[in-house]
Amino acid sequence: MTKPVLGFAGMTHLGLVSGICAAEKGFKVICFDPDSTRVTPLTRGEIPVSEPGLPELLAKNQERLLFTQDSTMLSRCDLVYVAPDVPTDDQGRSDLDPIDAMLKSAFDATRDDAVIVVLSQVPPGFTRGRRRPGRILYYEVETLVFGRAVERALNPERTIVGCADPEHPLPPAYANWLRARNCPFLTMRYESAELAKISINCCLVASIATANTLAEISEKIGADWSEIVPALRLDKRIGPHAYLSPGLGIAGGNLERDLATVLRIAGETGAETGLISSFVRNSRHRRDWVLRVLHTEVLPYSPDATIGILGLAYKENTASTKNSPALALVGCLANWRIQAYDPWVAGSPVSHPGFMSAARVEDAVKKADALAVMTPWPQFRSFDPQIAARAMRGRVVIDPYRVLDAGKVVNAGLDYFTLGARPLRGKRPGDS
Amino acid sequence: MMKHHCQRPEAPRRVVILGARGFIGGAIQARLAAEGVSTVPLGHADLDLTAADAAARLKSVLQPADVLVVVSAVAPAKTVPMLIGNLHLLEPVCEAISGLRLSQIVYVSSDAVYADDSNPVTENSYVAPSTIHGMMHSAREMMLRSSTAAPLAILRPTLAYGPEDPHNGYGPNRFRRQAEKGEPISVFGGGEEQRDHVFVGDVAGIAWLSIAHRSEGIINVATGNSISFRQVAEMVAAQYDGRARVVSVPRPGPIPHLLHRFFDITGCYKSFPQFSFTPLKAGLKLSMQRTAK
Repeated sequence: MTKPVLGFAGMTHLGLVSGICAAEKGFKVICFDPDSTRVTPLTRGEIPVSEPGLPELLAKNQERLLFTQDSTMLSRCDLVYVAPDVPTDDQGRSDLDPIDAMLKSAFDATRDDAVIVVLSQVPPGFTRGRRRPGRILYYEVETLVFGRAVERALNPERTIVGCADPEHPLPPAYANWLRARNCPFLTMRYESAELAKISINCCLVASIATANTLAEISEKIGADWSEIVPALRLDKRIGPHAYLSPGLGIAGGNLERDLATVLRIAGETGAETGLISSFVRNSRHRRDWVLRVLHTEVLPYSPDATIGILGLAYKENTASTKNSPALALVGCLANWRIQAYDPWVAGSPVSHPGFMSAARVEDAVKKADALAVMTPWPQFRSFDPQIAARAMRGRVVIDPYRVLDAGKVVNAGLDYFTLGARPLRGKRPGDS
Repeated sequence: MMKHHCQRPEAPRRVVILGARGFIGGAIQARLAAEGVSTVPLGHADLDLTAADAAARLKSVLQPADVLVVVSAVAPAKTVPMLIGNLHLLEPVCEAISGLRLSQIVYVSSDAVYADDSNPVTENSYVAPSTIHGMMHSAREMMLRSSTAAPLAILRPTLAYGPEDPHNGYGPNRFRRQAEKGEPISVFGGGEEQRDHVFVGDVAGIAWLSIAHRSEGIINVATGNSISFRQVAEMVAAQYDGRARVVSVPRPGPIPHLLHRFFDITGCYKSFPQFSFTPLKAGLKLSMQRTAK
C-alpha cells in the first residue's frame, strides 16, 4: 500500500511539531491553519515555537511539507489530525471553541473516506459527542512535552488510540501510519483513551507531589533528597525515568488542566477525589517556596532589596511562561526591584513597577540582595558563583532546582538554599 | 490572600472600635492613634452590648464611611453559656450594621476556628473548631458575614502575648509573671508542644494594614515560627539574668491531641508583603520592659 498523505490542522505547538515530525518519518504532510500569521512565517521557514531540533527538521523535510491556509487542500489527505492547542484559563478549564472550529473545518474539507483524528487534549466524552454519520473519527493521546517535543514525537513510547468501537479494525491508512512509528499502539474506546491521557498526567503529578513532600521533610530533618532519589530510581517499581526531582509545583498548564478536569468530573459524578485536591494544594504550597525563603532570609533585613532572577520560563528549553513559578514570584514582589534574565523570554512578561529585563546573567546579579534561579536552564550551570559573590550586595542564593554547584556557591561566601536539603551557609573569611 | 479595596494605604475618616479596652482592642486603638487615625474606642462601660437598646445605641454612633472593628468578646469561651453569651453580644452589632454603608468591618477572630491538623495552617485550612471558643468565633464570623455587604476582614490571630494581657493562660504571659514574682517558670510535662506566639503589637499592626487597605477576606495572624513551650520558658528565664528557672510540673490533663501547630504564612506575605513580625525573643523583651515601666 502506498503511504497515506497526512494532514495536520492547527499550526500551534502540538500540530506544528507533530506535522514536521511526520514528514521526518517519510510521509507527505499538509499543514493547515486558517490564520495567515501562523502559516506565512512557516512558508518562509520561520518557526514560531522554541523546540530543540525542530528548525533542522523543517529545513530537511521541506519537500514533504506543505503549509497552507486553504482548507480544501485537506481533501488530498487520507488521514487528518486535528491538533490546535487548547487554551486554559487560570482555573485550568479548557476553551474547546478553537478545536470545535478546527474539527468542523476538517470534516467539511476532507473526503468521506478520510480518517479524522482528534489529537488535542480534550475532556472525556468530547470525541464521542463529535461523531458524524458516515465519517471516520478517532482520538489519539498526545504526549507533547515542551522542550522535548521533537524527541517524543519521533520516538514515542506507545500510541493510544480512542475508537468508537475498539473491536473494529483500524482503517488501513491509519494502521499504516501507526506501524511506521515503530512503537506499540493500543486501541480502546474513546472515553478510555481520553481518560488515559489524564491518568498519565495524574501519575506524573503524584510523583511530583510525593517528591515535593518528601523533599520538604528532608529540609526539616537534615536529610538530602538528592541522595535518596538514586535509590528510588533503582527500584523497579518506581523506575529510572520517574518524576522525582522536587520543584516549584506543577506549571505549564497541561497538568493543571487534567487535575481540574478530574475535579470537575468528580463534582458531577460524586467520585471521591481528595487525593487530587491534595496534589493541587501541595503544588500551590511548593510554588511559593522561594517567596518564603526571601521573606525569612532577605526582605525583613533589606527593605529596599533588589532581587536577581535567572529564568522566567516555566521550564527550560521553552519560552512559555504559563503558570510559571518565576512570574508568580515576581507578582508577589511588587514592592521590590527585580532584575531578571531569561535566555528565551524577552522583555517584561509581567506588570511590575520595578522590573528590569537583564541582557545577561551578570546584569541580573549586579548589586542584588538575593539571587533566585527560577528556571533550570542548562546554560546557568556554567555560571561562576564567584562572579555573583563579587557583584551581589547580599549573600543569599536560592536555587530550587540545584542548577548551580552548591559547593562553589558556599566557597564563594554565599548562602545556598535549595529544595530537599537544609540551607548551606557561605564560608566567610576565617572559617575553617 | 486578601483583596485590597485601597491598593495604597489610606487612613479612613474614622474607626469605631468595639472592645477597645481589652488586650487586643487596646493595642489596635493605640496603633490607630499612633497612625493619626480618628477613633471612637468603645468598651463595655461605654456601650453595654447586653443592653436592650444596644443595637440602637451603636447605630446612633456609626456613621456612613466608618470602619468598624469588632473585638468585643468574653474570652476564652470555655462553656456553653459563654458560647451563647458571646453570640448574644454580637446580635446587636449585626442588627446595627445591616443596612449601613460602612467602609469596612474588621473582626478579630481566632485560629481556634481551624480543625486540628498536622499540616501547617493556612487561610484555606478547614474550619472545624474542636473547642467552644473556636465554635464561638466561627459562628460570629458567619453572623457578621450574613449581616453586611461591607468589605469584611477577618483576622485570625494565634496565641497573642504582650504586657497588658489580663489573662494568665499557659504561655509567655504566665511565664513572665512567674519570673517577675520570683517563682519558678512551670511547664507542663516536657513542655514539648510547639505553638506559634504572636506579639500583640503585631496583631494591631496587621489590623492597621487591613484597615489602611480596606482589605476583605481572611488573614491568619501568626509569625510562621512555632516553638515549644519549654523553649519559650527558657527564653523568658534568660531575660531575668539567672533569677528565674524552668521546672516541669505534671500535666493538668492528658497530653494534647494536637501536639504541635504550625502556620504557613504565605498568605500574609502576599497580602502585606512589607510587614515583618516581631521575633519572639524581641517581643518577650518588649513585654518585660513595658511591664517594668
